[in-house]
Amino acid sequence: MTAQTAVRPRKKTFQHTLRVMWDYRWIYLMLIPCLAYFIIFKYVPMYGIQLAFKDFKLAGIAASPWNNFEHFKYMMSEPQFLPALRNTLIISFYRILFGFPFPIILAIMINEVYMPRYKRVLQTIYTFPHFLTWVVMAGIMLNLLGSTGMVRKVSEVFVPGIGENWNLMYNKNAFRTILVVSDIWKEAGWGTIIYLAAITGIDQSLYEAATIDGANRFQRIWYITLPGMINMIAIQFVLRVGAVMEGGFDQVFNLYTAPVYETGDIIDTYIYRLSFVKSTGINLGFTTAVGLFKNVINFVLLMLANGVTKALGQETVL
Amino acid sequence: MANTDVRVDKHGNVHIAKKNRIRRFGLVDGVLLFFLTLLALLILYPFYNAFLVSIVPNTVYMRYKGLMLWPPALTFEAYEFTFKSSLIWTGYRNSILITVFGTIYNMVLTILCAYVLTKPIPGGKFIRFAIVFTMYFSGGLVPFYVLIRDLNMMDTLYSMVMPTGINIMYMLIISNYFKSLPPALEESAKIDGATDLRILWSIILPLSLPLLATFTLYYAVERWNEWYNAMLFVKSVNKWPLQNVLRTIINDVNMMATQNIPGQAKPDIQGDAIKMSSIIVAMAPIMCLYPFLQRYFLSGLTLGAVKE
Repeated sequence: MTAQTAVRPRKKTFQHTLRVMWDYRWIYLMLIPCLAYFIIFKYVPMYGIQLAFKDFKLAGIAASPWNNFEHFKYMMSEPQFLPALRNTLIISFYRILFGFPFPIILAIMINEVYMPRYKRVLQTIYTFPHFLTWVVMAGIMLNLLGSTGMVRKVSEVFVPGIGENWNLMYNKNAFRTILVVSDIWKEAGWGTIIYLAAITGIDQSLYEAATIDGANRFQRIWYITLPGMINMIAIQFVLRVGAVMEGGFDQVFNLYTAPVYETGDIIDTYIYRLSFVKSTGINLGFTTAVGLFKNVINFVLLMLANGVTKALGQETVL
Repeated sequence: MANTDVRVDKHGNVHIAKKNRIRRFGLVDGVLLFFLTLLALLILYPFYNAFLVSIVPNTVYMRYKGLMLWPPALTFEAYEFTFKSSLIWTGYRNSILITVFGTIYNMVLTILCAYVLTKPIPGGKFIRFAIVFTMYFSGGLVPFYVLIRDLNMMDTLYSMVMPTGINIMYMLIISNYFKSLPPALEESAKIDGATDLRILWSIILPLSLPLLATFTLYYAVERWNEWYNAMLFVKSVNKWPLQNVLRTIINDVNMMATQNIPGQAKPDIQGDAIKMSSIIVAMAPIMCLYPFLQRYFLSGLTLGAVKE
């Protein structure tokens, strides 16, 4: 029907495909361990999702009887589920509101430092906490904010009656703030790298031309640096919003305690606690259902985010 | 052009600057440097404070009120106690094992997968989709737990190494790099009769060493920081990696004391000091390596940001 199909030497036959595959036999051999990894550790758990519709028995997935949508019906009446969902969204919102702009501003400020060696020292310091775990970070925070910590001792000087057991880590009103601030402490420096890379891509002659035209520093930032970063900012923002159901398990899990469950419990910690803390006695099928609920929302949001970034002109992986 | 200064630097770039606008240290620079330095100090102080708490005697620390900037008195009791703990040593051993085997496992799988994805094999598109799909959707916690249980990996080193195989982001970056290498090299080797495995080993890998070094480092840090799988699957204390030992010490110092000298309570060293000395000991490898390897640490993300 068109010239293109006519020009094509011949139709791909089964034999032809087999011959190509034989030519790539070494490649397929290399693929085996990779595929084995993905099938065993990624796709077999997806098969386990059926537990969300089953009454989990210790004997295993296949041996558990179906109970259809019982778990999903129970979800809405489970007293801790809706608060956990609400907390996840609120904490994500705070993280986007305060945590997201921080690396952008920091990157612009770092870029304005004209001493290369000092700039590198600063960057080294800012990025350092990224490579530690939340286990370590939580220990260090407890040391500062806990009942024997520096913060209480200094406060005692100003507020005499603060009490021996004053512990900021147990304060449910302060917990979300602690999450957002400590996340900035750990990750903001790391976040600047991608923006600094975007700034490096800006044509330097623009700055020189602007300087000759008499633009001052703030005008150069506003009219050259920021527009040069805006695509990267938009992409990062969309991806961040797409991950709104991720409340940051590692951080919350290492920092939270029973007194702050009310404001700090997120979906992931809720699933973990109900599944593995013995006293709850809840069916594992139920927590699978909660996990599925979260993953499906996450997936849809990420797909939307991917679509938007593609529209913004960035190559996406899927 | 009387007040314009034209200068050519050593890279051959031409700089034009009005004489009265030559960059000099102004008020804005002062404020900026002050703020950025303050931020750096704020980031570092919690670590410094942790270090101070670990070396100040109990009685002195309890009475101390105010911002501690310098240790009022010194003692290394907490470190002596920490180093006597068998938990810290088994933790170190396990973390090193996990890091070494885990990083090798990660790099082998990642390189193979990255190389395969550069080839136009039949079914390649579907395989790529199936791999990337796992970035966006997963079975969730309970099915993962049931899987490890069914594989009989509970309470083993395998449960902390095997489930974390390929970081898909790293793999795709490496794959794109492989693709950017000149295809002529590979073709000539192929004419000489080299197999794909041979080509990967003798041509592709040597050409990609700096990039591979960066990602080896990333994987090594991630494996060193392992605690999540250990928390889920490993119940035996002597199989715990360092981070899980640390978690326990932070939550309950007495646990470590009973491990040290069975049947005996915590000696009269302040609990906080022991916690902080353990943290410092656990952080030490990263603290020591980081400043020297910083260049590699920071390069990875920018590699990812480069558009192909």
